[in-house]
Amino acid sequence: MRAFLLVLLTAASPLFAQGDFAPSAPQNDPNQVKTLKPVPANTILLPGALPKSSDTKTAVPEEGNVHKNVYENRYFGIEYAFPDAFVKQFDGPPPSETGKYVLAELELKDRGSILITAQDELFALTPGDAKYAREHLPSFYKLEDVPPELKAGERTFVRYDYTSPVAGLHWSVLSTEVRCHEVQFVFTSRDTGLLEQLRGGLTQIKFAETDAPRCVPNYARAENLIYKVDPVLTDTKYNPIPVRVIIGKNGKVEHVHVISAFRSQAGIVIDALLQWRFKPYLVNGEPVEIETGVLFGSEKSRKREPGAQSIATD
Amino acid sequence: MTQRAAPIFILITLLSVSLFGQTDPGVRGGGAAAGGPLSSVAANIPVTILDFFNDGQDRFQEVDSVAGTLAGEEGVGLGPRFNSRSCASCHAQPAVGGSAPAVNPQIGDGAADGARNTVPSFITRNGPVREARFPFFFDNNGNPDTNNPNGGVEDLFTIVGRSDSPSGCTASILPQPSFSQAQATGNIIFRMPTPLFGAGLIENIDDATLQTNARANDNNRLGVSGHFNHNGNDGTISRFGWKAQNKSLEIFAGEAYNVEQGVSNELFTQERPLPGEDGTTGLPAACRPNPTPEDHTNFNTTATGTLSDTVGFAMFMRLLAPPTPSTTTPGGSSSINNGRSLFAAVGCSQCHTPSLTTSASSFTSSLSNATANLYSDLLVHHMGNGLADNVSQGGAGGDEFRSSPLWGLGQRIFFLHDGRTTNLLTAISQHASSGSEANAVISNFNTLSSSQKQDVLNFLRSL
Repeated sequence: MRAFLLVLLTAASPLFAQGDFAPSAPQNDPNQVKTLKPVPANTILLPGALPKSSDTKTAVPEEGNVHKNVYENRYFGIEYAFPDAFVKQFDGPPPSETGKYVLAELELKDRGSILITAQDELFALTPGDAKYAREHLPSFYKLEDVPPELKAGERTFVRYDYTSPVAGLHWSVLSTEVRCHEVQFVFTSRDTGLLEQLRGGLTQIKFAETDAPRCVPNYARAENLIYKVDPVLTDTKYNPIPVRVIIGKNGKVEHVHVISAFRSQAGIVIDALLQWRFKPYLVNGEPVEIETGVLFGSEKSRKREPGAQSIATD
Repeated sequence: MTQRAAPIFILITLLSVSLFGQTDPGVRGGGAAAGGPLSSVAANIPVTILDFFNDGQDRFQEVDSVAGTLAGEEGVGLGPRFNSRSCASCHAQPAVGGSAPAVNPQIGDGAADGARNTVPSFITRNGPVREARFPFFFDNNGNPDTNNPNGGVEDLFTIVGRSDSPSGCTASILPQPSFSQAQATGNIIFRMPTPLFGAGLIENIDDATLQTNARANDNNRLGVSGHFNHNGNDGTISRFGWKAQNKSLEIFAGEAYNVEQGVSNELFTQERPLPGEDGTTGLPAACRPNPTPEDHTNFNTTATGTLSDTVGFAMFMRLLAPPTPSTTTPGGSSSINNGRSLFAAVGCSQCHTPSLTTSASSFTSSLSNATANLYSDLLVHHMGNGLADNVSQGGAGGDEFRSSPLWGLGQRIFFLHDGRTTNLLTAISQHASSGSEANAVISNFNTLSSSQKQDVLNFLRSL
């Protein structure tokens, strides 16, 4: 009898495997698949809007990298050495439709962090200066009385610090302008000594001499255009599409950097912009290479605060 | 507790927090702090609105069957494919209109009334209610084709074998999807029910209010940005669903009725096949016994009886009051208040905006120019590869999700879009991964002391 019951239970056991009840509907047998090629885990295969460039050799803001304890960014010409104890744990998100970049996030576990960001001033929704930020700091933070600037070699960083009394956290925000971007270093910690150390380290930051084009906001206005082709977007997602272009001395568009667009949109915008012709930008009567911004897509979806940069739209 | 024991108890608690760190207090006890109507609705202002709330709630709780001929299952139109037989069975915690309950009703749904379904292994008795999606279609070799996005809901069950199902509707013509294959190839993701309390307030927040809030928050030192999802037809801001993909409660209700229960309705008028199924075999006629749409406006009846179920569901959701937070539980008012301050200080409120104001409502005064304490900006944000599900919806990419409204969180059991955890600390830590906008905020949270983190947890569980 016991043997019979044992056989019965053994025969019935597949019915209760893994929480499945008795199979009564046909299912594809995974063993019939010739070679299993699983979707890679923890991988974003279907992103939303992403940046895209017309070539891979021209530097773009999002291409900075962290190697050992140095953050480098060719577009901004930055070489920043940070303390060894800080590590980069995660990559940041893609650039936003308002031109915000998370360049690097570095952590000293449970003790503090360094956040390096850049805000493209041509597409910001709010004025990028420290005065605006200080005036609009949420009321649960308290501004600290600190020197308003920090010198780092030839460059000046605007500085403001604030604290959260309830959290015991301190922030030190230092920003400088590079190529019409507000490049910002945010140091966070409960340890004011650590923040002092980080600020001291920032004074050693190097900015390489580059032949970067001059940034001219709002140059893509009708009076400066000789010829343009309008991109015909086939996929309406009601998203703004911010774009930076580099215009050569001859007025031709040499490089297009779409900061944020869906795959179906980016190529169309790049192809159109590469056909644009501008009047050359003159400095002391001589044509120079410049970069400027253009906004496509749904501008109406994002309003701007007074004081934010005006931007030519399509 | 005696006078002598109380200080000892407090000391032990403090020592526990400092030695063992912060802990999720768990689901807040006491009665359900949600599920009733808005106050003006409860007062029947305007007159008869309470009838519509009650009628909508009844419909929400109705169990659907194929023909509506089974006792206790008067709803018509279940299937041919479905995930559940009733809205309220899945939107149940802590009350009707909530989120996934502790005991998963889908275990019973798959076998109810003689149905012969295999319950997939990811549906367990004490796990969350789930719908499943395959991010990608399969190629001819049975592998996911990452160049061919899918992302649509793959209904768990069919009506095959049910006592009210046509005899010609068999498993050979209406099979269940290949969940085993999808699991073996990592080509499956899950979603669990979103709670619906306060939905009318969310629906009545004007786009301009949302834009103003988003603009103000864009100036931050946390690396947070986000963007709105938009209705594809008119470009206005959509706001319901895990990716804010749905515009209004009525669209939300109609889609869910069709997708989750298989009931065709005036918004989604055809029976819904599996993604891609209509291009091959289609839904077999033998499994579609009802004229369509199965849910529709009713004529020659009472005022509330005239509504279709879909409109009734929408009205119920719209008139549901938001959850009532606790000021003392768990942890006491000091801890909760401190936690609220810390929640803002570390930056959580950057996306989980504590409150927004609605515009004037034509329905009822409680929806009109009201403060919605929803703890969400209603934007979609990049949440990184740890939470990415590779399903795009509208303008929301595979790693983007709407800031989940946190009101009512205290009495929820399962967290995140797929209900992967019941532990609030785990849910918080999952916000950080490569590509997430929340990394700096989580880093700030991690610098807090154990007791401060406990205050934040207590605050969240008080919501």
